[in-house]
Order: sequence, then structure tokens, then C-alpha cells
Amino acid sequence: MRNRFRGSTIFAVLAAATAGAVISVMVTGTASQGQEQVTRAPRTPDGRPNFDGVWQANNEAHWDLEAHEARSGMVMQQGVYPYEFGNVPAAPVVALGAAAGVPGSIGVVQGDGEIPYTPEAAAIKQENRENWIDRDPELKCYLPGIPRAMYMPYPFQITQGTDKIHMTFGFSNAARVIHLNEVTGPPDYTYMGHSVGRWEGDTLVVDVTEFNGKTWFDRAGNFHSTALRLTERFSPITADAIWYEVTITDPETFTDPWTIAMPLYRRLEPNATALDYPCIEFAEEFMYGHLRREQLVKRWEGETMIVEITRKVPPGDRLHEWYRR
Amino acid sequence: MRRRLLELLGVATVIASVMVLLQVTTGSVRGQAPNMTAWGHPNLEGIWLDVYTTPFERPAEVGDREFATAEERTARDQARMGNQGRNERGDNGRRDVAGAYNAVYTSAKPAGPRTSLVVDPPNGRIPTLTSEAQRQNDLQREWRLMLLRNTETCQSSEQGCDGGEYGPPSPRRFDVTPFYNTGRMNRHDGPEDQSLGDRCMSGRTPDFNGFRRIVQGEDSIAMGYDTGQGQGFQRVIYLSGSHPPSQIRLRHGDSRGRWDGDTLVIETTNFSPKSPFRGSGENRRLVERYSRVDEDTLAYEITIEDPTVWTAPWTVRQELKRQSDEENRIYYEPRCHEGNYGLPALLIGRRMDEQAFAEGSGPNPFSLDTATCVGGLR
Repeated sequence: MRNRFRGSTIFAVLAAATAGAVISVMVTGTASQGQEQVTRAPRTPDGRPNFDGVWQANNEAHWDLEAHEARSGMVMQQGVYPYEFGNVPAAPVVALGAAAGVPGSIGVVQGDGEIPYTPEAAAIKQENRENWIDRDPELKCYLPGIPRAMYMPYPFQITQGTDKIHMTFGFSNAARVIHLNEVTGPPDYTYMGHSVGRWEGDTLVVDVTEFNGKTWFDRAGNFHSTALRLTERFSPITADAIWYEVTITDPETFTDPWTIAMPLYRRLEPNATALDYPCIEFAEEFMYGHLRREQLVKRWEGETMIVEITRKVPPGDRLHEWYRR
Repeated sequence: MRRRLLELLGVATVIASVMVLLQVTTGSVRGQAPNMTAWGHPNLEGIWLDVYTTPFERPAEVGDREFATAEERTARDQARMGNQGRNERGDNGRRDVAGAYNAVYTSAKPAGPRTSLVVDPPNGRIPTLTSEAQRQNDLQREWRLMLLRNTETCQSSEQGCDGGEYGPPSPRRFDVTPFYNTGRMNRHDGPEDQSLGDRCMSGRTPDFNGFRRIVQGEDSIAMGYDTGQGQGFQRVIYLSGSHPPSQIRLRHGDSRGRWDGDTLVIETTNFSPKSPFRGSGENRRLVERYSRVDEDTLAYEITIEDPTVWTAPWTVRQELKRQSDEENRIYYEPRCHEGNYGLPALLIGRRMDEQAFAEGSGPNPFSLDTATCVGGLR
């Protein structure tokens, strides 16, 4: 990775001699359907890697940072067998068939692949996992926090300014500002943290502090306390890929610092846009449905939603009929 | 009496200190960005704010005069400080609570040099509504008054009932709302009966009151708005590409920018009907212009058009002042939703009122005004 980038550094220096040459080589793809393809300099005029653009992780870290096998449902219950691996999808997702599952992953936690929880914290993580629907802040559309926002399955925009780098996330219209200059910190703990960055060669290093302890790392119940501190490293692999590494320190939750790492990819399609995912309203039925005068879900017991699945199969679409079409 | 006087003095002190603070930040601020960005564009970066309060529309008697006299500004400042609503104490519990959100909680800016934010048409007034928009407004007003008709607000002809009348609860009170509701109404059957503010979605484009942070990259400009008590929002202005297909509808629209000399020109379309601005939803089209006047001042101008709502486009002009980057006094983490106890409390309260009424131990919930803060305090 380093070597490849050193190559492109030399290239950039040479290319800077003739701006025209830069523009002709910068085209990273072929424009399709007559749409405008953005030509983007791999470096800013002051020589930094140019991260401006739409980015997205392309992995399963948002499900679980640790290695995990694929499973058949986002929410599971015991089926015929008493073994966990024999569980079947539970009511909230059973009508969604094979689209309700969770893809497997080799994990993004570096070293031995395991998060070094203290014994007390490990027990809380397990509880979180078992009570995912009620505890995960993502389901309520709460601000996702860092690093989670960086690898959720939604695009985000990096706007690289003079002394700020602004990231605008599709999920919940959330944002973070990385200060490359000195500013006063926030007056209170935050969901998204207070980010202070600096360049170490071609790597953007960001220290993130002032967390309120209310965000999670993923949908598997991995969590932290207000003592969380992050050191993020954004290193260009090519002009269109960043190696993203985060060292996570939180002595109240973990016995040691630990690190996750993954690539972030530039969205290269013409007219790539980080569209908003305005989920506050998406979560209203989930959060407040039991408080309606006339409820849409047919049965609530207090705040407990009893989901009775009515799945009407249209005539001709019953199992096996499909094959006979 | 003595206590009340002391309270009034306290409020006046708070207003005065807010004004002093604001005036301090209108002065020069250290740590300026250079005039051009590394990409060779005029540098608009920083935290910006309209530090003045200005009537949105111009009073008719001022005519076409764009700027206020010193006497007019002093009079506006004094009128605001003397506003009795700033420390309203009610004669019963409900009224007292309704008036509790007083000047201690709301900042006051000094009166600005303009007579109105609207500068075009030249009379400083928003053009006439189309007949369809007027019909929609009437429909909404009539609906809200219908839900208030059995309340004390209508019985005592308070401001909140203007145009309505007192009577028994309407037989239409449980009907489906005949428009897409985004305002507070005197019914709380579910989230849809609440205002966008109650639901933490009141931030909308354009915004004229909040702080905004501008960050400029090669191909995008980020604007983070801090407005509406934790209901701020983010916009990305793309300097390339084109608006997405028309079926894509966004709360803050899709913004594409270009440089016209030293002026940033932003066109915004693709708005959602769910986040209307003064009755204008998906047919809204905005053209905004930003340019630097001096080190600490941005000229901002926006032309708003929607032929389904207004009979002509209209334009607002503001001067935005640089705020200290170092002090970083902008709240870029809007978290109204994360702490929204109010919305479930409104719904729970209404369910309890309904239960009490059903059991014969409480009044008909439709006889209670839970929409206008008891009449809209005069």
C-alpha cells in the first residue's frame, strides 16, 4: 500500500508541471450515458491527498466488527434444536425471507480479532446483543457516533476545506467537523465526538474525544463508555480508496486499546450524491406507535409490540406456483 | 410587586448582556482565512450569522425604503425589551406553564439596519398567494379552528381563535386531516397530528436565523446550520453534476453550485412536500448568492420561486457576520430527537385525558387547548 502511494506521489509531482496533463490522467473512469464525469485532482494544490467526494465502506462491519458467520435472521429465536446455530428467524423479520439475514464477515478487528472487554463489560455486550431491537440506538435513528458512522451502509460526503474537513453522513443527516486548527471544544459530551486532526505525511490523523457514551459500534451490541478516545488514521491507497484505521481506547470498558481497519471507497458513478436517509420519521411508528389513539400495529401490551404477521400471498404467487409461470 | 420588579430587571439584564455579546462578535475576529481557497475560489469559509433581528416583511407605511433610521431601530429595540410576553405569569397553572418559556430561554438580537429581509418586490412584501395557495391556507386554518372550537381559547376569544367561534366539539374532529400536516393542531392522535418542531424535523431550507458553518472543498461545499434549538441540519452543495431525477425528493432539496465571478450561485430543487417553507413544498426553487463584502461580512441573497404558491418570485437579502472560529460557538450536533421527551409526553398526556374523560373523571379532551399555549399569549 505504502509503495503504491509513493508511486503516485512521484506521479503527482511530475504531473503538477503541466496542469493539462494532470486533468487528462485524473479521469478515473469512462463517462457513461453522456453524463458528466468529475475530474478530480489526487492532491490539493497545497500537496495534501484530496479526499473531497462521496465515500462509503463496503463491508459487514456495521453488523458486527468481529468475525461472524452468516445467519438467517437479523432477529433469531430457538427453532427445533437447542443449539444456537440451529436458531431460526424470529417474528419481526420472518416475512422477509432470505432478505432478513445477516451476511458473514472475517471481521475488521486487528490482531487476534477479538474486542478486549473487561469481564463486566463483556456481560453487558452480551445483554446488548440479546436485546438488540430495544437497545441499538440505530433503530431509533439516534446520531450514530464515530467510528460507526464511517462504515454504516450509506454514502457520506467529505468536504475538505482549508482548516476543516467536514463529513456529511446520509444516515440521519449527521455530520462531523474535523478541526485542523485550534478551537474550543464542545460545552458538553457529544454523540459524534470532538475531532481534531493533523497531517502526518499523507496520513490524516484524527483524535476524537468528548463522547457521551450513548453510541454503539455496530448492530452486535458492541459499546463503550464516556471514557472513549479514538485515534483515526486516513491513508490514501489510491486516489479512490482510503485505508481507514481506528485505535479505540476506553479503560472503563476494555482491558487494552484495540484497532479496527478497513478500506473506504470513493463512489465513482457519475453524479454520485450522498442522499439523505431521513430516518427520524422512519422510526416514529417503532418509537411512538403504542401511543396512538388508534394503533396501526394491532396489538400492543404496554410498550411491547405483538407482531401478528399477516402475509397475504397474491393468487398465482404461492410457493411452487411461481415455477409454473 | 417588588419581586416582580426584580424579575423584570433580571430579564432586562439578560437581554442587555446578550446584545452586548452579539455586538462584540460583530467586530473583527482573529484568525481569518485567506481571501481565496487553495482551489482558487473566493473563500467563504467560517461560521456566519445574521447578528440582527429584522422584520421579515416591511410594514406597508415604510413603502419602498430599504433601510431604517437610527430612531426606528432604537424604537424597535425598546419595543422588544418592553414586550410583556417576555415574562408572562398566568393566573392559573395552565397559563403559568404556557408563559414560562420567556426571555430567559430565548435570545434577542439588536434591531438591524434593514426595514425588512424581503427586498424584492421593492415594497419588501411577499407577493400575493395564488388562489390555490390561498385555498390551502384557508383549509388549514379552518381545520385548526375546528379542533379548537370547544376550548377556553375560543370561549374567551383569544388570539389563537381569531376567525373561529366557540361551540360544542365538532363531529369532524376524528376525520383524516384533509392536507399533509406539518403544524401543531389541537388533536394528538399520533405523531402526524404534531408540528414538525414537536417531531424534531423543523429545520428547513431556506433558514434565515441560525448560525451556519461553511467549509469549501474542490467539488463540494458543506453548510452546517445550527438553528431551532437542536433542529439544525446539513446541506452539501455540489459544484458539479446535475440535479437527480425528479422522483427524488429531499427535505433540504438538491443543491448545485457554480461560481459567477466572485459570487457563489446555488440552485436548489427536488424539494420534498414533507418540509414546506411558507406553504411551498415540492415546487420550490431557490437561487442563492453568496459573496464576500469584506473580511468579516458575507452578502447573502436568495430568490424564492414557486408558481403554485406565489404569483411572482421574491428575494431576501442579509448581511452575515463572521463569528469566531476559535470560540467555535456553533452547535453542529442537532440532537432534538435523541432527547425528545415532549412528543411522547404529548401523546401520553392525551391518552390519559381520554381515559379520564371515558371514566367520567375529566373534561372532554377537545375542550382543552393543547395547541396554542392557551390562546396564543397576547
